[in-house]
Amino acid sequence: MMRKIISGNEAVALGVKLARVGVTGIYPITPQTTIIEKLAEMKAKGEIDTEIVRVESEHSAMAATFGAALAGVRAFTATASQGLLYMHEMIWWVAGSRVPVVMVVGTRAVGAPWNIWNEHTDFTSERDSGWIMAFASNPQEALDLTIQAFRISEDERVFLPMMIGMDGFILSHTKTNVLIPDQDQIDGFLPPRRQPYVIDPEDPLGMGNVFPPEGYMRLRESIDSSLRNSEDVIREIGREYSKKINPLGDYSTLNVSYKLDDADYAVVAMGAWAGDAMEAIDVLREKGIRIGLLRIRYLRPWSEKEIREALKDKKGVLVLDRSTSFGRYGGPLYVEIKSTVSDIIPSIKGVVSGLGGVTVTKNDLVYLFNKFVEGMREDVIWYYPKEVGKVELRTPRDIE
Amino acid sequence: MSLLDYQYFPVSRPNKGAGGKTGAWRIVKPIVDYNKCIGCKACFMFCPEATIIPNNGKIKIDYEYCKGCGVCANVCPVKAINMVSEQ
Ligand code: SF4
Ligand code: SF4
Repeated sequence: MMRKIISGNEAVALGVKLARVGVTGIYPITPQTTIIEKLAEMKAKGEIDTEIVRVESEHSAMAATFGAALAGVRAFTATASQGLLYMHEMIWWVAGSRVPVVMVVGTRAVGAPWNIWNEHTDFTSERDSGWIMAFASNPQEALDLTIQAFRISEDERVFLPMMIGMDGFILSHTKTNVLIPDQDQIDGFLPPRRQPYVIDPEDPLGMGNVFPPEGYMRLRESIDSSLRNSEDVIREIGREYSKKINPLGDYSTLNVSYKLDDADYAVVAMGAWAGDAMEAIDVLREKGIRIGLLRIRYLRPWSEKEIREALKDKKGVLVLDRSTSFGRYGGPLYVEIKSTVSDIIPSIKGVVSGLGGVTVTKNDLVYLFNKFVEGMREDVIWYYPKEVGKVELRTPRDIE
Repeated sequence: MSLLDYQYFPVSRPNKGAGGKTGAWRIVKPIVDYNKCIGCKACFMFCPEATIIPNNGKIKIDYEYCKGCGVCANVCPVKAINMVSEQ
């Protein structure tokens, strides 16, 4: 085990190396590109024997990864934003075929207009696809979750693909101290890949062919059961990972609490800004306001049990969304939290912010948390940080 | 590998007549001219119903399952297969 200062993307590439991935289907897209650059570099130096398949689009990247996985090889790919959208069809195809695959998404805004900066909408828009979906809040977690993802996805109680979100640029390109496990540790943790069916020319087999209506519906139900039952698998594998590999990280739960037990108010957030939220909470705590954080680490499966347990007895919950669900009042996390705890929490408010790379600082969060505790009038607000408080956009009226 | 009872997988195996027996609705059927046939097995490769069976360098068509789609006649490089009207 060693410590190194690396970026989130490098951490993911090291996770792929340690997992002894056999095939990666690669196509570059900002801010994921340096993951595959790092993998290509390791390949050139002979540090990994992963087969790197360069393809002509993200749709093909997922198709190539899917094909390798069907043949029984541990397979990986990474993407972001428009690339994830371009993969959309294949993403459903992989989940529907019940094939273990791991993907990292360096989350980013979705155009138009063109914007390469961070937000979570690309990631959250895949939440009905049947994938297990985790979201990292620092490079260490990105590495740890990548390794655990192979074990979870290949577990016989699961057999579903898994994607890991990671805030574009904020985590993908900034460097921090990361604990890197040794190869033998991971070899001991991650058994060789197994799956119920592999394609083999000697024993021809089709996966995901035409299915009659009742058979199709039964399969969909089985995907739902597997995804819901993966909750226990995730906890079990997480506990083992914390014990054997990274004792500094607690993976025994799906979601993570901070100063929540004695809190009157709770904030719910996902991803990197959960770190700023913790600092903001410390500021409010100093003033005697009892507030805590629930960080959503797994968007799917959605642990209703854990979330209700963590938020029960709170006077109010504020949900931070770095993504949008147009036409619905509030972002996707707000909607999910509301449907989970509206019967036990008197006041649930939402904030949509940080879209398209808008910087939300600790001070902004202190301001928002204060506003919420003092009694926010609106149920959901779109918050523009002070520095960009005035946004000027031209309207067609300007055109003669 | 022990799978749990909620686990189902969308798997199918290639089989003769995946669409079932043809019945009486076929209007044309492929007839092989064995004087022309060179035994290349292109028709066997392309038949979507897997109803062409290669046997000792010759091919044989299983008419019980053949749908009369004409793919075999089209892919035959020496035009050894004719689609003829059902009587
Ligand atoms: S007509 Fe169609 S189904 Fe019949 S043998 Fe030829 S290719 Fe097969
Ligand atoms: S494709 Fe034509 S030549 Fe080739 S095996 Fe079939 S009938 Fe014979």
